Amino acid sequence: MVSDVAVEVTGLKKSFGSLEVLKGIDVSVRRGDVVCIIGPSGSGKSTLLRCVNLLEEPSGGKIVVNGVELTDPDVDIDLARTSIGMVFQSFNLFSHMSVLNNLTVAQRKVLGRSPAEAQQVALRNLERVGLSEKVNAMPAQLSGGQQQRVAIARALSMDPSVMLFDEPTSALDPELVGDVLGVMRQLADEGMTMLVVTHEMQFAREVADRVLFMDGGYVVEEGPAAQVIGEPQHERTQSFLARVLDPTHQGPST
Amino acid sequence: MAMSKRRRAIAFRRAQYALLIVIVLLVAVFADWGDIRRSFFDVDTAVAMFPTVITTALVNTIVYSTFGFAIGLTLGLLLALMKLSPVAPWRWIATIYIEFFRGVPALLVFVALSVAVPLAFGLKFDINSTAGLALGIVGSAYIAETIRAGIKAVPKGQIEAARSLGMSQGRTLLTVTIPQAFRIVLPPLTNELIMLIKDSSLISVVGLTALDYELTKFGRETLSRSPSLTPLLVAGLCYLIITLPLGQLSRYLERRTGGRKIDTPESTGV
Repeated sequence: MVSDVAVEVTGLKKSFGSLEVLKGIDVSVRRGDVVCIIGPSGSGKSTLLRCVNLLEEPSGGKIVVNGVELTDPDVDIDLARTSIGMVFQSFNLFSHMSVLNNLTVAQRKVLGRSPAEAQQVALRNLERVGLSEKVNAMPAQLSGGQQQRVAIARALSMDPSVMLFDEPTSALDPELVGDVLGVMRQLADEGMTMLVVTHEMQFAREVADRVLFMDGGYVVEEGPAAQVIGEPQHERTQSFLARVLDPTHQGPST
Repeated sequence: MAMSKRRRAIAFRRAQYALLIVIVLLVAVFADWGDIRRSFFDVDTAVAMFPTVITTALVNTIVYSTFGFAIGLTLGLLLALMKLSPVAPWRWIATIYIEFFRGVPALLVFVALSVAVPLAFGLKFDINSTAGLALGIVGSAYIAETIRAGIKAVPKGQIEAARSLGMSQGRTLLTVTIPQAFRIVLPPLTNELIMLIKDSSLISVVGLTALDYELTKFGRETLSRSPSLTPLLVAGLCYLIITLPLGQLSRYLERRTGGRKIDTPESTGV
């Protein structure tokens, strides 16, 4: 089935014990689109993202990526995940492996690529994120921004068709955020399908095709970036954006 | 005149040095150095122990300990995985095993293996197998707990990253979790190896021929034919020949693999 929809989430629910974090989410991402998810902490945006590659098992609803229904218990989830790249807030580079090994280990052991081919792919992707010279470094020797760019290169080395970003710049020093956002923007320009949870409103406004505002386990508002961030319709979106965009002129939230 | 807090602290530190000096002086003055030298540093007795103390006793100690640690590590890893298994009966079996062999003296296990098991099952182990099995069975109970703690200390993000790249659960365990867990448990694991080396002396409860003597047994045998306690000192020093480099090796490996420092800011994860 060839479709121009890369990710289709319908009626997604997720509870942790008695706490219902997602209360019925519908999201659809077209191939080549960049969708940014914004919202206050605890709104369920990270959980939504982690459900898309089933790092969290949904409590209800349906997730279809590239025409494969991941929520079907018979699906080979490991195989499906090879086409869904994920970048984490805390980078999660394998701390006992060099940069090169971080990029090649899954290619060799999951995709069955030869060491030579895996290395070639790894070097190409390291170059894409501007870190060719760090190929033999250990993760602990890199700055946060460099680690995150290596993590992006690691995900790209699997040749995914969709990339998930879970607050990729939230753990970075402010002056390193730009490097990572630059790589992500370049990726978007190359036509990668991306689902990004972020607090970087500037990035969302400039790069995203669509923006979702989530609060309390629901998608409260969605639409083109300029509209959701520039002229939010919903009162909760307005107050959230006011606090994020102009934090020094706000009273304490209620 | 009351002293300030800092002055009191300085005075207290000086008092401790003074106390140490007094103790050293008392020992130096009142100890009978001639007797001590005759009892522990009898050069002739010491020289007569060589080369057998190295070629037989030290080698046997190393062989028994190596067998024991190999079995202990394998069994310990298996038990650790059982204890972390989602299948409850595996956890129960591992828990019972660990609690039992951690709480029972190693000596009992040696006796059981050399006497009871051959009687019950008609099996006859050679000395290497008896020592290796007994040390391994007891050691694995401790090692399992250490490895389990190590596996649990591997940050969850490392496992999630591996899974998100399409690695199966088993592949993740072998490629990411276990290598990182071993790096974390290297120092406590060295401790367990050293304890195991010392426990290898318990093999002497089994009737040993002279060729099977390890360090402690060899020291005691020599002692019975010696006017001084020197054989014990020599045997003790031989243990240090093994254990001191092990400590160094552990520290080296720890440094080389980056120690237990985890460089990702896990605490910020939401």
